[in-house]
Amino acid sequence: MSDDTDSGLINTLKDWRVALMIILVVFSLVSIYVIPPGISNGMTGNLQLGLDLEGGSWIQLSFQSEVIRFETDEDPEVFAARIGDALDAEVFLFEEDRIEIRAPFTREELELVFEENGGSLVTYEKGVSKDTADQIKLILENKVNNLGTKDARINTITGLNGVTQYIRLELAGVDITTAQEIVGAQGKFEIRIQTIGNESEHVLYGDSIKSVSTPTQSPPGSDVWGVGFTLSESGADAFQNAANTYGATSNPDAHEIMMLLDDETVYSASLNPQLAAELKTTPVRELRATTGAGEEGLEDAKKLEIHLRAGALPVDVEIAGSGTVSATLGEHFKVMSVIAGILALMAVAFTVYYWYREPAIVIPMIGTTVVEVIILLGIAVYIQQLDLASIAGLIAVLGTGIDQLVVITDEVIFEGRVPSQNLYLKRFNRALGIIMVAACTTIIAMLPLAVMDLANLRGFAIITILGVLIGVIITRPAYGKIIMAILSKKPGDH
Amino acid sequence: MKFPTYDISKYTVRQLVALPIALLIVSFLFLGFNTLTTGMPVDPGIDFAGGVAVTIPPTADSQAVVEGYFSGYPLKSVGEGVNGGYYVVFEYMPDDEFLKLSEVINEHYPDAKVDQIGETFGKTLQAQALWALLFSFIGMAIVVFIVFRNFVPSIAVVLSAFSDIVITAALMDVVGITLTLGTTAALLMLIGYSVDSDILLTTRVLKRKGKFSEKMQGAFRTGFTMTSTTISAVALMFIVSWIGQIDVIRDISAVLLLGLFVDLMNTWMLNAGILTGYAGGDKR
Repeated sequence: MSDDTDSGLINTLKDWRVALMIILVVFSLVSIYVIPPGISNGMTGNLQLGLDLEGGSWIQLSFQSEVIRFETDEDPEVFAARIGDALDAEVFLFEEDRIEIRAPFTREELELVFEENGGSLVTYEKGVSKDTADQIKLILENKVNNLGTKDARINTITGLNGVTQYIRLELAGVDITTAQEIVGAQGKFEIRIQTIGNESEHVLYGDSIKSVSTPTQSPPGSDVWGVGFTLSESGADAFQNAANTYGATSNPDAHEIMMLLDDETVYSASLNPQLAAELKTTPVRELRATTGAGEEGLEDAKKLEIHLRAGALPVDVEIAGSGTVSATLGEHFKVMSVIAGILALMAVAFTVYYWYREPAIVIPMIGTTVVEVIILLGIAVYIQQLDLASIAGLIAVLGTGIDQLVVITDEVIFEGRVPSQNLYLKRFNRALGIIMVAACTTIIAMLPLAVMDLANLRGFAIITILGVLIGVIITRPAYGKIIMAILSKKPGDH
Repeated sequence: MKFPTYDISKYTVRQLVALPIALLIVSFLFLGFNTLTTGMPVDPGIDFAGGVAVTIPPTADSQAVVEGYFSGYPLKSVGEGVNGGYYVVFEYMPDDEFLKLSEVINEHYPDAKVDQIGETFGKTLQAQALWALLFSFIGMAIVVFIVFRNFVPSIAVVLSAFSDIVITAALMDVVGITLTLGTTAALLMLIGYSVDSDILLTTRVLKRKGKFSEKMQGAFRTGFTMTSTTISAVALMFIVSWIGQIDVIRDISAVLLLGLFVDLMNTWMLNAGILTGYAGGDKR
């Protein structure tokens, strides 16, 4: 008799799903608490917590710009430049037939201008190109780092068409006023000229810089990179004046032009001979700072562009939405979520016991549910931060999990008895069929939310889908095996 | 076991489907009327309409005091929580005004949770949520048709799920739950819950051998166990989040709870009724 029980247990453990389930539980607990050591974070271990549990602020920005696909018979570069002039706005040709217009215009306004210039507008979308979005992300990251914020997430939200509509900042432990300052704050940009030795004199401030171009090669194709920028008329006068007064036009090498951001030198170079000669007679508005050749030159040019903008974003932004949760309230939500989870589980245990009155069914059922939650959290460590919405998803998936365990139980146990092995397998597979279909529909129903970036609902959907997958592939079949093993050695059955 | 017995063969098909169909029609008209008069089937929360929502943790201030602090702003509603906290909603306001409001909130309730959604962003979210709902529903219907490859039973399942969503949405508006991202997710989740019990019913009744009324009775036992267990879990989630002022979870669980009760009716009257008509009772 005891031999019989032992071999039954071992056979159950040998079932791949039961074995995998045990391995995954260990893996999850290790992920949450052991590697890296997470016990010091308390109950939540290495789980990534969302702002509403941790405290902090979020801001979602939309861009005052459009991405246009157009048609024209001309050279696109020439056409784009003319459109820029006509609109008196900065335009950026980032694909052969797509430009980004960095000022707010309606579709109607643009259609008219495109037509007047011998082209036509094909598509109109609010937002920026991927390149610009990455640049904005970089600028914001710099600002956030300067602030010394420990935990910041900045994500661009890009549609399937490659147009970025929003950028979202999540700053842990920062209140909303500080967060707004980070987005709005600009650095102090200054151009100075070297006088004698280490001495230098002020030439102009960032407000004299009218516009800044993206990195370009000059001459085109030479792989020598730099950033062009345009001075205002008064700025150009001041620049010419300083260059002549301090002798930079006659002896460029001894009088370098320096650029400073927040009093730190970010670029320094001498005037090139042609420019020096030109400045002797007239003010020059279009200037260019060369950074060097190759990959490194390009990287430096990108940084310089950001510096020239003094941390200002290349495109005007608007706050589309924002929010804040205090650390105290976050802590409260955390505790409440744990209580909600535990009580929900107890309610399930109570209800299931009420219907079945059989600990041999209730304990494995609740055990399976707990295991499902642990595995789900373990995997979530790597892919999804937990916020209140995903906790709601967790509890909702716990609900469907129990549903399906009930289906399996009722299917295989007929009038309180476990049938013979063959019949059992047949019924077990039929139950799996039902839960597979139900799982498919739940996943399909949640898929749109997981794909679309509807703020924090993505978390809800991802947790739900993940939970359903873990359930139907591993834990619920494993439950079927376990309950079979337990019930088949019940004394009443022999 | 004190199981509720439900002998479906006592009723005619017409008796079974009358109530769910009537409720579906009434709800549908109600939502349609709302859409015509306000532009939205259910009163939208700030996620879709734009505006500011503030969760104030437990405070000794009375409702009048709270309203007093915010009287200069487009206040939409002030709700008092069971724990002495408040949930304050404002209509959309421009950025400068919101900055001033932020200061007022910070001064009186530094621990509050504040969320602000711009009008245009709200519109974008609204459109996306609508697409999500549509795609989910169509996706679900396709799966159901592929699985059953049988017109009437498939239609019964899809109709029940549709009816779950429509009646629940109408009830939401009646009890004053606004349509937000969270409650939209809950409505989508209902598709999953709804189909769970419907598929159980259909599979048991159509694919098993045996007496129709016995199969129906067996399916009902399992289905009722399932739904009641889920209801108990969701009910506790609702109670805790209500007391704990976790608005997102409270709204999601409230909608799920309403939906699960609606689903009990739709599965065991509407869907069961249609199946009885289709597969015939014992007599036929």
